[in-house]
Amino acid sequence: MSSRTPAGAESPGPPALPALDPVIHAQPRLRVVVTLATLANGDRITFPRLQELAGMTAGNLATHLKKLEDAGYVRVTKAYRRRTPVTWLSLTTAGRLALEEYTAALQALLANASQVPDRHDQHEARPG
Amino acid sequence: MNDSDASGPLQPVAAGGELSPQELLELIRTQHEGAARDLYVAPARILASWGVAWLLGFGAFYFASSRARGHFLPLWAAAVILVSLSAVAVAGVVIQMARRGRGVQGPSRTVSAMYGWSWSLAFAGVFALNIGLSQHGLPASLAPLLWPGSSAVVAGVLYLAGGALFADRVQYGLGIWMLAVGAGSVQAGWPANFAILALAGGGGFLAAAAFILARGRRAQPQS
Repeated sequence: MSSRTPAGAESPGPPALPALDPVIHAQPRLRVVVTLATLANGDRITFPRLQELAGMTAGNLATHLKKLEDAGYVRVTKAYRRRTPVTWLSLTTAGRLALEEYTAALQALLANASQVPDRHDQHEARPG
Repeated sequence: MNDSDASGPLQPVAAGGELSPQELLELIRTQHEGAARDLYVAPARILASWGVAWLLGFGAFYFASSRARGHFLPLWAAAVILVSLSAVAVAGVVIQMARRGRGVQGPSRTVSAMYGWSWSLAFAGVFALNIGLSQHGLPASLAPLLWPGSSAVVAGVLYLAGGALFADRVQYGLGIWMLAVGAGSVQAGWPANFAILALAGGGGFLAAAAFILARGRRAQPQS
């Protein structure tokens, strides 16, 4: 039906559309949050392993983790294992919820985007 | 901070909005699937390696049985085949669990460690029981029925437990199947029991692995 408008076409958003959480709406942070959400509930992961799974440099990951920690989405625990410092990371309940809401908001946007062109089609069907 | 040329696209904080909702959902899906693939064991590979071990190992024991139709293999060769293929399968499980669980800690790791040890403990228990029976006069002619049959039943029970623990219907179904294979093999008597263990037992593992792979393929190409 809506063959000519790709979903990315932004229309001046009606106020009813859900807002996207700016903390997660940066790709590197989204990737970190999704990776942490893949862990089973209550599990935590070391910094290097998370770095490997998210495919980021250490500096980049540290920067984004700081922002996620400040937002209360990620719990950072520093511990020692055989005298070596280990940084454990896990998603907080708020972080898990934020990802769920972000995903739901994207799905709502997508549903909305696929409806709008339909309406246009109906209007333009006759002159076209 | 913006100097990094990491694999991930580095964008200013406000960006990310460059992607459409559809692309962002796709990013979430692929990142989740990629991380899950790296974090969790691949049951299909484990089941396939056991399938090969049973098919060839017990198949070899069938052809090493003096009363079998195609008897051509010495008994020691069959034992070597079964033991070495089983060792390969066990090593595969241990290596996979160690690799994928690297740098992860928490309840799920405890659960999988306890479940992993359940296999060692259960088999140690049933082997000790079988040895005890032999020491107390169980006829040697029953050993080829007892050992593999009881192993199949124990494996079946553990797959039932694994299925219940991880809410996995395929594992649970395999558990029921292995109970039937173990009991059926003893009913069939020697040397037909080895054919049943090889074909129905090994085949059951391979079928479960194939089913999991096919299900994964079907789930992937969507939208």
